[in-house]
Amino acid sequence: MRFTRSRTGLALAAGLIMLASACSSAGSTDSNSSANGQSSPSATGGAGASGTGAPGSGTSDSGAGPSLGSPTPVTLTFWGTYGNGGNTAQTDVLNKQLIPAFEKSHPGITVKYVDIPYDDMSQKLTTGAAGGELPDVIRSDIGWVAKFAQLGVFAQLDGALPDWDTLSKAVYPGTLAADEWNGHYYGLPLDTNTRVLITSQKALDKAGMNAPPKTFDDLKAMAGKLKGSGTALFADSGLQGWNILPWIWSGGGDITNADHTKASGILDSDTNVATIQMLVDWYSQGLIPNLITGNSGATSTSDGMPGGKYATIFDGPWMRDIWSAQYPDFTPIYAPIPAGPGGSISVVGGESIVMTSATQHKDAAMQFISWTQSEQFQLAMAKVGQMTVVQALGDKEVAEDSFYQTFADQLKTAKARLSIPQSSQVDTILSDELTPAFKGDKSVKDALAAAAAKIDPLLTDGT
Amino acid sequence: MTAATALGGSTRRIHPLIALRLVALVVGAVIMVTPLAYMISTSFKSQAYVLTFPPQFIPHPATVANYQQAWTSQDFARYFANSLGVAIASTAISLLLSSMMAYAFARFEFRGREVMFRILLLGLMVPAMMLIIPQFVLAKYLHLIDSLPGLVVFYVAGSLSWNTFLLRGFFSSIPAELDQAMEMDGAGSWSRYWRLILPLSRPALATATIFTFLACWDEFPWALTVINTPTKRTLPMAIQLFHGQNATQWGLVFAASAIAVVPVIVVFLLLQRHFVQGLSVGAVKG
Amino acid sequence: MPVIDLPGGAPAIAGAPPRSPSRRERRSRHRSPLAPYAFLAPGFLLFLALIIYPTVRAFQMSLYDWKIVANASSRFLGLDNYVRAFHDPHFWTSLSNSGVYMLFTVPPQIVLGLVVASLLNAKAPARPLFRVLFYLPVVTSWVVVSLLFTYLFSDDGLVNYALSDVLHLTGHVSWLSDRWTAMVAICALGVWKGIGWSMMIFLAALQGVPKDLVEAATADGAGRWGRFRAVTLPAIWPAALVVTVMLVIGGFNVFTSVLLMTDGGPGGQTDVLLTYMYRLAFSNLDFGYGSAIAVLLTAGVFVLSVVQLRVFREPGGALTK
Repeated sequence: MRFTRSRTGLALAAGLIMLASACSSAGSTDSNSSANGQSSPSATGGAGASGTGAPGSGTSDSGAGPSLGSPTPVTLTFWGTYGNGGNTAQTDVLNKQLIPAFEKSHPGITVKYVDIPYDDMSQKLTTGAAGGELPDVIRSDIGWVAKFAQLGVFAQLDGALPDWDTLSKAVYPGTLAADEWNGHYYGLPLDTNTRVLITSQKALDKAGMNAPPKTFDDLKAMAGKLKGSGTALFADSGLQGWNILPWIWSGGGDITNADHTKASGILDSDTNVATIQMLVDWYSQGLIPNLITGNSGATSTSDGMPGGKYATIFDGPWMRDIWSAQYPDFTPIYAPIPAGPGGSISVVGGESIVMTSATQHKDAAMQFISWTQSEQFQLAMAKVGQMTVVQALGDKEVAEDSFYQTFADQLKTAKARLSIPQSSQVDTILSDELTPAFKGDKSVKDALAAAAAKIDPLLTDGT
Repeated sequence: MTAATALGGSTRRIHPLIALRLVALVVGAVIMVTPLAYMISTSFKSQAYVLTFPPQFIPHPATVANYQQAWTSQDFARYFANSLGVAIASTAISLLLSSMMAYAFARFEFRGREVMFRILLLGLMVPAMMLIIPQFVLAKYLHLIDSLPGLVVFYVAGSLSWNTFLLRGFFSSIPAELDQAMEMDGAGSWSRYWRLILPLSRPALATATIFTFLACWDEFPWALTVINTPTKRTLPMAIQLFHGQNATQWGLVFAASAIAVVPVIVVFLLLQRHFVQGLSVGAVKG
Repeated sequence: MPVIDLPGGAPAIAGAPPRSPSRRERRSRHRSPLAPYAFLAPGFLLFLALIIYPTVRAFQMSLYDWKIVANASSRFLGLDNYVRAFHDPHFWTSLSNSGVYMLFTVPPQIVLGLVVASLLNAKAPARPLFRVLFYLPVVTSWVVVSLLFTYLFSDDGLVNYALSDVLHLTGHVSWLSDRWTAMVAICALGVWKGIGWSMMIFLAALQGVPKDLVEAATADGAGRWGRFRAVTLPAIWPAALVVTVMLVIGGFNVFTSVLLMTDGGPGGQTDVLLTYMYRLAFSNLDFGYGSAIAVLLTAGVFVLSVVQLRVFREPGGALTK
């Protein structure tokens, strides 16, 4: 049963191809197609036309043109993690404002949002995939897209979504890269965030600086001034990709080559060794606390920064709400990641909107996905802390709330982590191999080489 | 024990033995309770004062906002009711089935007894996490997905090993002469089970009830896996939803957990008197 | 002749002159041979369907490079996953951590549970109150207490505050930054949470200690320890066995507390078997290998339990045979 390739899989693939060729670019009013105008839905490449071609002709090909909604009532189930602990700001906007607006403009489609605890979403998706119990659309962390794409759980969107070309070009490139796997895209960015440098006036004063450090050299100078003062120069909570990649990229290095096939030689390059050695030296001088090597009993960054224990941290836009509740008197200073030889490059986080392969309502699901890219959705969510992925809206977002300026700027150059199914294993490898280097048990070069050797097989496996 | 202790409070001097016991108990109780006292006190703090250094035991300022928010947010009362229904049903059915099995193991000799008992024991040792996926596929096949009665079925199955094991131990220690006496009077096996073994096993049954109720009340991974409709959620899922993506309001989580702990304590209080009732078996002499 | 009060109220005379053979004959005539199976059937069938069958499936998974999605084909590996485990240093680290946890939490829970149960069984004021207080840790959720203990054992937490600032015994210890000190914190949580549980079982068991034998022993001049050894211990032996077996199983199955206190860190040093298995299965989607580890854990625990039940069975074999 489970151990044979099922015919339904083939039928599904065939159906997708037909759907893709029927609907692709048929939604554009300017159908600059060649002579394929009224041909049958069999695959003719990118400009295959639908049965009608003319917008608003009222036929049942609801993927075409501006006929939104569904002729037969359809209910979409949407799993997300917008519930933010006890903070209902995001779910309120979604349930009270956005979903009703979508249902109004897309008659016949109702959307049922189900909130899942963030820490358990990945597990629930996994068991759901195994048992065949999945919703229609999901707000998925970008780190999971490749993994579930490889399993066939998330549906391919390029070639399926009618306005894929416009939508995919509209988002920040770093955010789209996270949804790519094996040459295709299995999600569309939904919201994004990134890490920037955060510091405080108190820390700057202590280090005798009048502005946040802009370069690695500034940091080195700051380190010299803070040595022995009891304040750590920098703190972070781990050595995974999310933590270490801003340093590596800003330092001018990378963890794999451009097409993600090799890590050896790249991860343990001299550039990276220099960058990591800089951090290790600070660690051995007490300028980086052992929080970074996994001491879950050390003061967290969110407590250590306002408390003056840590001079700088990297973190994201959610800190504003957290600090305003816990430390109302604290005024953080947000600045770009200090630039090294590679520039000031941060790491992209966020979520994507995906459609499951198993959904029975592909068309309605795709309409919903396209709609999440609209200004209405993006800006409403931006107001409650979910930064927009659409580049053109970045200015509007900042205009509404200047707080996002630093983050929006950083996003222009921010890069995505490795978008491979085994990305969580890469994180574990980085963390496990770099910890001894920080503790002084291993040289940085050896640690990076060992990590690269373990990452190499993961890059070539499973594509 | 001297006459002085037997007379209890009629002497003004407290027997040093009792005093010693009291001190030991108090020390132990303080150690047991301190972390929880801290949890309760934190549930009365507003977000700004949670988990401070140095630790702060008396919340100042104190607020009941966390409890209000926990109870009124989402559908907390409904989740509470869901959990209650599932836990009560599971406990009752599990006790019935496992006491029947324990009776069979304890009182009969039959072919395959040891093998079946060992298989039962195996169920005790398999980590639940390993079974989640096969059980999920099975549940889907049996149409037990996204249903609270389905949850009951699985909870009962999961508790049978432990309850049978516990009850068999207790049933075995009931002297067989009592059974034989009843049998000579013509009582059948069901009769002996219902009228002799069960009533004499009250402490064991009370123990099993308390533990099974607790296990069902607190169970989370399986509920998370099978329940998809928000209105069917159980309480542990609701509490987990209080954990935010980037930060968690611990005062809120603690308040919700404090509310959640109340029924389990009530069950314990209701049943704990059975621990001290003597068995009439103790009257057997000779 | 001994008279027994039966719950039904009618006194009966037990102990007619023992004529064992004929009593057995009578038993086999009146007793239906199907009776035990009738009692067993409902529960056992449910158990087989919902627990044993998935266990067999999980074992099956361990023989493949198993893909979770229904339509994918999985590669048959035979025992490769098991061989992999034996060569995997992280498996052995996890195993040793699980074992250490078991060794350092089970004996204290048994001993302290029995001590507390004895204290509560004898005369002392406010016993119901104490019973509840000792039971409280048992009923609190693992998630909450793991967080609490992380906080207690943090660098500036209550434990360091008490040990160094109040009692001046040690300096501040960075408990969770190192494998063995972190294990201390995790084991402390395990013992703290479990004492009330074993206390409960021992309390129930102590009710079954024949009081007349206790009095007889006292009259014979036996001291407290002598009474305990001669009368109490044999009477609670089955319960003690149950407790021990269960605690050993629970010790090897420790999961939530490790996951939340250290997540197996730093660098995977405090991983126990189940946290390693969980990561393999749900993060790396390596279900075949994860299942193999779980099977190894189950097999090990099963063997241990059977050994315990055989070796420590009550003399006379009334219980386990």
